[in-house]
Formats: sequence, C-alpha cells, structure tokens
Amino acid sequence: MGTADELFASLGTFCGAYNENKALKEMNRDWDRVVVVEAPDIGASFTLILKDGELTLKQGRLPDADLRVEGPSDLLTDLFYGNITPTEPYLNGTLKVFGSEDDIMRLDFISLMIWGE
Amino acid sequence: MKRVVSVSLGSSKRDHTARVEILGKIFEISRRGTDGDFQKALELLQELDGKVDAIGLGGIDVYVYVRGKRYAIEDGLRLMRAVARTPVVDGSGLKNTLEREAVRYLTRETEFLRPGTKVLVVSAVDRFGMAEALTEAGCDLVFGDLIFALGIPHPIRTLPELERIANKLLPEMVKLPIEKLYPIGKKQETQDTEKTQKFARFYNEAQVIAGDFHLIRRFLPEKLSGQVILTNTTTKDDVALLKERGAGWLVTTTPEYEGRSFGTNVMEAVFVVLIGRPWGEIVPENYMELLRRINYRPRITPLN
Repeated sequence: MGTADELFASLGTFCGAYNENKALKEMNRDWDRVVVVEAPDIGASFTLILKDGELTLKQGRLPDADLRVEGPSDLLTDLFYGNITPTEPYLNGTLKVFGSEDDIMRLDFISLMIWGE
Repeated sequence: MKRVVSVSLGSSKRDHTARVEILGKIFEISRRGTDGDFQKALELLQELDGKVDAIGLGGIDVYVYVRGKRYAIEDGLRLMRAVARTPVVDGSGLKNTLEREAVRYLTRETEFLRPGTKVLVVSAVDRFGMAEALTEAGCDLVFGDLIFALGIPHPIRTLPELERIANKLLPEMVKLPIEKLYPIGKKQETQDTEKTQKFARFYNEAQVIAGDFHLIRRFLPEKLSGQVILTNTTTKDDVALLKERGAGWLVTTTPEYEGRSFGTNVMEAVFVVLIGRPWGEIVPENYMELLRRINYRPRITPLN
C-alpha cells in the first residue's frame, strides 16, 4: 500500500512532465477537464485540472469531475510515475476509469505521450 | 479451383462471392462478415481451417508496420492462432507494397498526386507504405490519426512525427480490444456525427482523401467538392454514396471482381496461394513480381 504523500508526489511528477511538453499542451488546448484520482485503500483523493492546455494539481476531490480514476494507491503511484502503463490494469479491472469513452482515450493518450517508449 | 475466404469482423451485409481466373488459376473468393462478433469469427476460422486454400482476416489488422518496426494487435493474433493448417493472412504484408505501388502509379500516370497536392490520410498508422509513397510524391499531407481516432484537432503533417507518435502509442494500443481501435459490426454502417461536423474542414481542404474506406465513410461530410477518394474496398452502395456526396473520382487499390473490390487481406490470401510458400517466407519482391505479372493497376472511376 502506498501513502498519500507518495501518490501526491507521483501526480506532481506527472503534472511537471506534462507541462514541460509544449506539443502536448498545444494539442490539448481544446480539452478543459477535471480529473479526480482516488485511492480508496488509503482514503486519498486528488484533482488534476486541465485548462487551456495547462495542468494543475490540487489536494482533495473537486466537484463536477469529468473523469474519475480509481485504483489501489501503489498502482496509481506507479502509473503516474510512468513505471507501469494503464492498459493492462484497466483491462483487468484493477484500475477503474469513469467518464466518456472519448475522454478516457484522451487521458490514455496523454499518459502514453508522456511516458510512452 | 482454389478457395479463398475472408473472415471479417465487419458487417455481413458486405458478404460477396466471386469466381475469377488469376494467372491461369480459377479462384472462388468469398467474404463472410460476422457483424462484430469476435467469438463467431473464431468459430468460423476453426470451421474453415484445413478446408480452404487460404484465409484472409478482414476488419482487423494483425500486424501494423511503422517503418522497420512491427506491432502485433493482440485480438488479431488470437484470430490468427485459431487457424492451424490453412495459410492465414491479414493483408498487412501486401498492403505496404500494393498501396505504395498504387500511389506511384497515380503519380506517374495521372494528375491526381502532383507535388503540393493536399492529401488527407484519415488514418495513416496502419498504412505506412502509402504514407511514405505520398511523402515521396511531394504531397502536402495531413495524417488524421489523432483527429479522427482521438478527437484531437492536431493534424500530423510529417512522417517523422507520425512515426514518433505511433511508436509511443502502439505498444499499448495493440493490447486494446479491436472494437476500441477500429469500427466493426454496426459501427461500420454509422457515422460519428460529432467528429464529422467538428472536423469536416480537414475533408473540405483536401484534394485527395485517402485511407481505409470504413474510416473515410465514418467521418464523411454531407458535401464534398470533387475530391479524389483513394481507398481499398468498396461496394456498389459505397460508390453510390460517394457519388451522392459529391466526390469526383474513386481510386481503389485492389482489383475489382464482379462489381466490387475485395479487401487487401483477400488479395494477399490469393497471392499466398499463387506463390505457394509459407506467409512468413514471402518478401515484398514476391508480391511485386505478382503485381507485375497481373499487370496491376489501381482502378480509377469517375464519379461526378
């Protein structure tokens, strides 16, 4: 089981990597979204806010989320550090992502563009 | 008589059978769609195994090539592994050669692909050979992979960028179920109206619209203005639709038999029978030789 601090740090790393990627920011200028990330095993929630191509991270769970990503804390930490990819845990149900199919694909795309081979 | 059957995840409404003579051999070529039913496709493949001369897999690529790299789509591999005795192909081996040659032919023999021609390739990642040939022809390219697959309004304009993005995305995307990657079953008969309206400008700005026909149709605007459609498989209904929407020309890369063009997977299955060697041992030059022997030309049809 991971800790809330570790998960927060991994989300921070993810944000940083995204915000350094000018091409990715430009591609997502049209896609303002609120993404809640939750680890029920440690009772931790965080929110990623994508607006005008910029990504910010907040403690806690903001209302009116467009997407919700839920999973075990250690899985989420590894995911947002880029140590693992989301596909297999998503397909086997360990990682749950709630939202429209298009939004889920876009989030997947962002993470692969940051951490992909 | 040699029997070639294409098992497709596509609509059964597109099923067809034809008898043709190719290089002195009579072939019965048929297509059987399973309306998106993966299990039915597996069962059909097992039923045909050992009973026909070659099987083509339609509506699904098993292999996607990005320059020297090959990626295997897991659902495609599952289908391929259902067949133990009969040669089974997905068209990817021939696609690279055939579509490259189609572009070169058009460049040499027509005015469709002069340098600077604006070409939209709706999805380029599964037809790298065509993308390379269009680049060599000096066309002004838009690869619509991010636009139409993901709704991201970012036209990919160069082959290096396509390659870079493909190499980042494909290792994971090949693990997804096929229905997440490509329209199968009923989706082949419907349009994505939201993306069609949002991204119509990419169709409107192009002089040539190229790529897989199911994808071209899925995002086809109500009105075209005489564009050339460069694609693979079309039925009479598809041709009527393009005519009605205002396309100017239709170029199909696979030959036509009895009123329709068959998918590249079918042609590759026919070629494998003609070559008479295991698929894994066939190289592009083997396909090229056959294309020369059959005097291959893409089929060009005026529409309006």
